[in-house]
Amino acid sequence: MNAPFFKFDMFSADFSLVIAFAIGIGFGFALERGGFGNARILASQFYFTDMRVLKVMFSAIVTAMLGVFFFVAFGWLDLSLVYYTDTNLIPQVVGGLILGVGFVVGGYCPGTSCVSAATGRIDGVIYLLGVIAGIFVFGEIFPLIEGFYYSSNMGRVFLPDYLGLSYGMIVFLVVLMAVGAFAAAEWGERKMAIKKSGGVK
Amino acid sequence: MSSITGIFSKEEAVQEKIHEPKPYSNPYLVGIGLGLVLLAAFVIMGRGLGASGAFSSLVATGVQQVAPEHAANNPYFKEYVGDGSTNPLKDWLVFEVLGVFVGGLISGLLAHRVKKRVEKGDRISVRNRLIFAFIGGGLMGFGAKLARGCTSGQALTGGALLNLGSWAFMMMVFAGAYAMAYFMRRQWT
Amino acid sequence: MKFLELIQKIDLKIKLAAIAIFLGFTAFIISNPFDNSIVKINAKDLAVMVQAEVDHVNVDELADWIIKGKSDYRLIDLRTEKEYNNYNIPTSENIPITNLLDGELFRNEKIVLYSEGGIHSAQAWFLLKAKDYKNVYMLRGGMEEWNDKILFPKLTSNATQEEKAKFEIASAISRYFGGQPQIVTGNELTLSVANPNPTPKIQAPASSSTGGAQKKKKREGC
Repeated sequence: MNAPFFKFDMFSADFSLVIAFAIGIGFGFALERGGFGNARILASQFYFTDMRVLKVMFSAIVTAMLGVFFFVAFGWLDLSLVYYTDTNLIPQVVGGLILGVGFVVGGYCPGTSCVSAATGRIDGVIYLLGVIAGIFVFGEIFPLIEGFYYSSNMGRVFLPDYLGLSYGMIVFLVVLMAVGAFAAAEWGERKMAIKKSGGVK
Repeated sequence: MSSITGIFSKEEAVQEKIHEPKPYSNPYLVGIGLGLVLLAAFVIMGRGLGASGAFSSLVATGVQQVAPEHAANNPYFKEYVGDGSTNPLKDWLVFEVLGVFVGGLISGLLAHRVKKRVEKGDRISVRNRLIFAFIGGGLMGFGAKLARGCTSGQALTGGALLNLGSWAFMMMVFAGAYAMAYFMRRQWT
Repeated sequence: MKFLELIQKIDLKIKLAAIAIFLGFTAFIISNPFDNSIVKINAKDLAVMVQAEVDHVNVDELADWIIKGKSDYRLIDLRTEKEYNNYNIPTSENIPITNLLDGELFRNEKIVLYSEGGIHSAQAWFLLKAKDYKNVYMLRGGMEEWNDKILFPKLTSNATQEEKAKFEIASAISRYFGGQPQIVTGNELTLSVANPNPTPKIQAPASSSTGGAQKKKKREGC
């Protein structure tokens, strides 16, 4: 098996758009199933009442990470051909903070707002218009912030290389961290439920 | 803490105005499903999921339609518009995001969860909620471009591929959101 | 049976967590999935490829690709940095044979290898094939043949008309690469153009063969 299939020319660029559409359907379906079309469920993550965002996100990351690791270990997947962005640490940290603020103000992230809009939420539609406006503003002032945008470029940084630990070790640590976070989330949700019901439970 | 939790009324709010929708699925199983979709993208395409990139293509195309010279002179839009040999909307992420709309709709229809409404807490007017949605979307669009991706492109994709920048980004998203949560409590709780 | 019942009673969350931890621990034991030094090869498959000579590129083919500015391949010079700097075939990149598997080459690329003669490139070809690189080719005759046929083509005095016509084309190619077509009269050798320069320094004609894949990457992000 030679994966990624597309990078080994197993199908054309036009056909890749069909695959994009199919993968998008899977993505949207999963987001909706998780309740991510609902801004209130997303926002309740940040008030510790419903930790679905954390649970879905980390189980997805753990699943895909383990899958990639074993596919690489079996020699099926060539990781050097899987694209991910370079690390530009400072712009990404600042961008992450802005995005986090935007998350709790707007109630969605771009992917979830698509699902929200598709399932009839007006706030999701307005949010998408906001995203478009934000990108437009970014593009317009890009010449002014170009230096900052490209600052602290570290190239393609693979965490195991960066930390000097083996790939398997990092995978194991991430799994442990995720399971620990899930346990904490379950515990926290129970606590909040008890508090809410006036401590009777 | 009690000031936040005492006023909480999410469950009542969820129960009103909903026409017997099915409850949302087990988050862990949803996560595994999402992880498998992501893995499929890695194996088939050699790339992860995304969302905001599609809107960049859309914005760049819009700018190009309205002011072609302006788009050609702007280094950021130029990147998305390309040299004119291909349609910028004939892009992987654009088709993927179209799929997200369709997939979300299918799932919502199957679970009777499609309904015109505005998601908000009880203590905010619809108008203010929509204003906040727009502002939040704007911040998100701007931040996502600065960070080279949003929650799907950076946190999920880069997270699973153990990309340093993505993990730093992910931590910052949670940090930013938790820091802002208190000030936004009237909107949600 | 009791054991199965017991398992069924366990909460789904706990089961999933146990599976994740088990797989994570297995990953920890495997530790490094891309070990670069040990390979498994399909000897028969390789032998058949060697026999069929499907993995050769001739110097005139390569010259043609360079002149036409083809960029669907990467030309790799396996010689030392010093030799490379002295003279190299335009559009080539220098990757000494010891650094071959350090991750500069991608498995989905068409790779053309050359060395001084043919031996190093054949050995490098074997290494890459063993590491599952798909499209690896060798320049037949290597640098030596490139010198003989492309840079310094020869015409003997008793050449036929047909050979002369071919030489005209070869001379044009040679001059394109900054070489010297040569006419041999008897045992003496005269250059068709004065200025004997055995190792001409020349610039790559078109865009270099690297980049391409990397340049458009920024767009791929979310």
